[in-house]
Amino acid sequence: MTDPAPALAAPDRKHTVEIQRRSFIVGAGGAAATGLLASCASNATEPPAAKLASDAAVPFRGANQAGIYRPAPQQQAACFAAFKVLCSDAADLKSLLQRLTVKASLLGGGHKASDALPAVELSGVTGAPPVNSGVMGEDVPAAGFTMTLGLAGSLFDNPAYGLAAKKPRGLTDMKVFPNDQIDEAWIGGDLILQLCADSSDMVHYALRDIMKATRGQLQLQWKINGFHNAPRPEGAPRNLFGYKDGVVNPDEAEQLVWIGKESSQPAWTEGGTFMVVRIIRMLVEFWDRVGLGEQDNMIGRHRASGAPLGMAKETDTPDYSSDPEGTTIPLDAHIRLANPRTKETAGSRMLRRGYNYELGVDLNGNLQAGLIFTSFQQSIQDQFEATQTRLANEPMVDYIQPFGGGYFFVPPGVRDANGYLGEGLFA
Amino acid sequence: MLITAAPPATMDDAVSAYHVYVTARLGELRQHALTLKAAVGNADVASARQAWLAAQQCWQRVGAAYGSFGDLGDAIAPGSRGLQAGSADPEFSGLRRIEYGLWHGQGPGELVPVVEKLLADLDALDAKLPELAVDPADMPLRLHEILEDAQRDHLSGVGDQGSGMALALTRADVEATQEVLAMLAGLLESLKAGYPAALDAQLSQLAAAIDATKTTEGWVAYPEVPLAQRQRVNAAIGRALESLALAPALFSTDD
Ligand code: HEM
Repeated sequence: MTDPAPALAAPDRKHTVEIQRRSFIVGAGGAAATGLLASCASNATEPPAAKLASDAAVPFRGANQAGIYRPAPQQQAACFAAFKVLCSDAADLKSLLQRLTVKASLLGGGHKASDALPAVELSGVTGAPPVNSGVMGEDVPAAGFTMTLGLAGSLFDNPAYGLAAKKPRGLTDMKVFPNDQIDEAWIGGDLILQLCADSSDMVHYALRDIMKATRGQLQLQWKINGFHNAPRPEGAPRNLFGYKDGVVNPDEAEQLVWIGKESSQPAWTEGGTFMVVRIIRMLVEFWDRVGLGEQDNMIGRHRASGAPLGMAKETDTPDYSSDPEGTTIPLDAHIRLANPRTKETAGSRMLRRGYNYELGVDLNGNLQAGLIFTSFQQSIQDQFEATQTRLANEPMVDYIQPFGGGYFFVPPGVRDANGYLGEGLFA
Repeated sequence: MLITAAPPATMDDAVSAYHVYVTARLGELRQHALTLKAAVGNADVASARQAWLAAQQCWQRVGAAYGSFGDLGDAIAPGSRGLQAGSADPEFSGLRRIEYGLWHGQGPGELVPVVEKLLADLDALDAKLPELAVDPADMPLRLHEILEDAQRDHLSGVGDQGSGMALALTRADVEATQEVLAMLAGLLESLKAGYPAALDAQLSQLAAAIDATKTTEGWVAYPEVPLAQRQRVNAAIGRALESLALAPALFSTDD
C-alpha cells in the first residue's frame, strides 16, 4: 500500500529554505528556469511552487525595459501609477531618473536585510525610521518584480527641462475616441510606472518604497491596481467577461514593439517603445444578462474553449478569407475588427499586456470593474489608434466604457551599471 | 545676559525659549477669543468667522501637536472624532466646535456658551502653564509632528468643520515648525551639519507653495485648489516630512 498523502509529509526544512532564498531568472531564460524549478521541486518532499515563484528575479538590465516582453508570462499583480513630475530643472529630473533606476534594480533583484545598500538608500542617522516598510518582511524577495517607466508628452513640453527636441514623434495626449467617457481624475501625469510582481504585497511595497524615495519630485496623480488571473482551466487566463484574453500576441521577433535603428524617431529612443494605457470599465452585470451565442459573436471566440468560432482550440487561427460574409465569425466581432489578418493590417498589430481591475461600487450599485488595457508598439498612431479606430463601433461597445489612461514613451533599457533610465534625454 | 537672537545652545534653553513663546501665543489667543465672543454675541457672522480663524491659527502656532499640554490643551481645539453624533454631539466643544457652528448657521444661543467655556479653558491652561513641564524629548518630536498633524488633519480634509481653512491652518503650522526649528537649529547643526539649513529651505518652499494658492478673495478650500497647485503643496509637505522624520533619532541617546 502506498503512502496516501506524500505531499503532506513534513518538508525537509533546510532544503526548502535554501531553495526559497535562491533567486531564479525567468523571462529571457524562462524555459531554463522552469526546468530548474522542476528539478529542485522533484528533490523536495513538498513542491513549494508558489513560494519558489515569489523568489524569481527578472533581469533589470537589457537593451529594453522589463515588464514588456520579459518575463514572458505576465506577473499576477500590477499597479499603474501616473505621477506629476515636480523637478525644478533638468538636473533635478536627471537625479529623479537615476533614483528610479536604483529602485527598479534593487527591488527587482530582491535583497536581504544583511545585504549592503547603496549610500543613496541610507539616511546616515542612527535610529532613524527604517528604510524598509517591512511589508515584505526584512528580507525582500525579488517576487518577479519589474518596474516599467514611461514618459508622457507633457514632460517633453515642460520648458523647465528643455527636452522639446527629444520628444518622440507621435507622443500626443491620449485621443478621445467616439465611445470614451473620460473622467479627468483618471488621466494626465508626466510619468507612469507600471509595477508588476508575483504578489500584490510586493507591488504595494514597491510603490510605497519608490514614493518615499522621490517625495517632492513626484506626486501621484492617479493609480490603479490590476490582477492577472490563473488559467481556467488552461491556456490564456480569462478576463472579467469570462473570455480567454491574451491568446494572440505578436512575437518579439516580429519587431512590432521596439523602436529600431531605421525609425524616424530621435536617436535616443532606439530600444524604447510606446505604451498605451486605457482604463476600461466593463459592465459585467449587463454582460451577464446576454445570451452566450451573442457574447460569442461579439468576441468572435467560444467562451468555453477560447477557440475562434467554428474551431476547436484557442490556438487555432481563424481563416477570414474563407468566411468573407462573416457567417462563422461575424465581420464586426472584436477579434476580427481588431486583427482582420490581412496584409494591410498586419503592421497595426501590437503587444497587449493588460490587467483586470476592481474599484468598488458605482453609483447605480454595480461593480466598478474592468480592464486596464495596456499595449506596447512602435507607433501609437499606426498600431493602437488604427486598431481602436477599426473597433470604434463594434457591438461590444455597449458593454464597455473607457474612462482613463494615457499615452507614454518607454525609454530604452539600461545596459550597464552606470546607466540609468532615460539617460539618452541628457546626452 | 540673555541675547534673544542667539539660538539656544542646550535643550534646556530650547525648552525655556519654547515656554516663553507659548505664553505669548496664549496671550494672543485669549484676545482673539474675546473678539470672537463679542462677534458671536452680536450675531456678526463675518467678524466671528474672521476672529475664529485668527484664534485657530494662533492655536496652530502654539504647535500643540499630539496633545502636548495634556487635558488642558486637548480642551482648546479637540476634533469631533470618536463622538457618537460626530460634529453635532453635545460633547463636542472648543475652537473646532465654534467653527462648526459658524459654518452651520448657528447663532449666539448655541455658540456663546461654547466660547465662554473656551475662555475658561484658556484661563486654566494659562494658570497651569508655569508648572507644565515640557519634556525635552518632546521638542524634536514636536518639530516633525506639527506638520504630520497638518497633513493628517488639515490637508486630508478630515478635521474640517465647514470653514475650508485647511491651507490657512497648515500655513500657521509651518510657522510653528519654523519657530521650533529656530530653537533647535544650533543643536541640530552640531548633530548633523547642514541639516537645519536644509529643513529651513524645505519649509520655505512649503510656505511658498501654500501662499501661491491664495487668491484675491483669500484662502481657497483645499479641494477647490487647482490640481497643479495642490500637487506642489503635497510634494513640498511630503519632502519636508521625510526630512523632519530624522530629527527625533538625532537627539536619541539610546544607540
Ligand atoms: C474591455 C475591453 C476589451 C475586452 C473585454 C477585450 C477582449 C478581448 C478578447 C476576449 C480577445 C480574444 C483573445 C485574445 O486574442 O487575446 C481580444 C483580442 C484582441 N483585442 Fe481585445 N478587448 C478589449 C479591448 C481592446 C482594445 C481597446 C483593443 C485595441 C485597441 C483590443 C485589441 C485586441 C486585439 C488586437 C486582439 C487580438 C485579435 C487577434 O489577433 O486575433 N482589445 N480582446
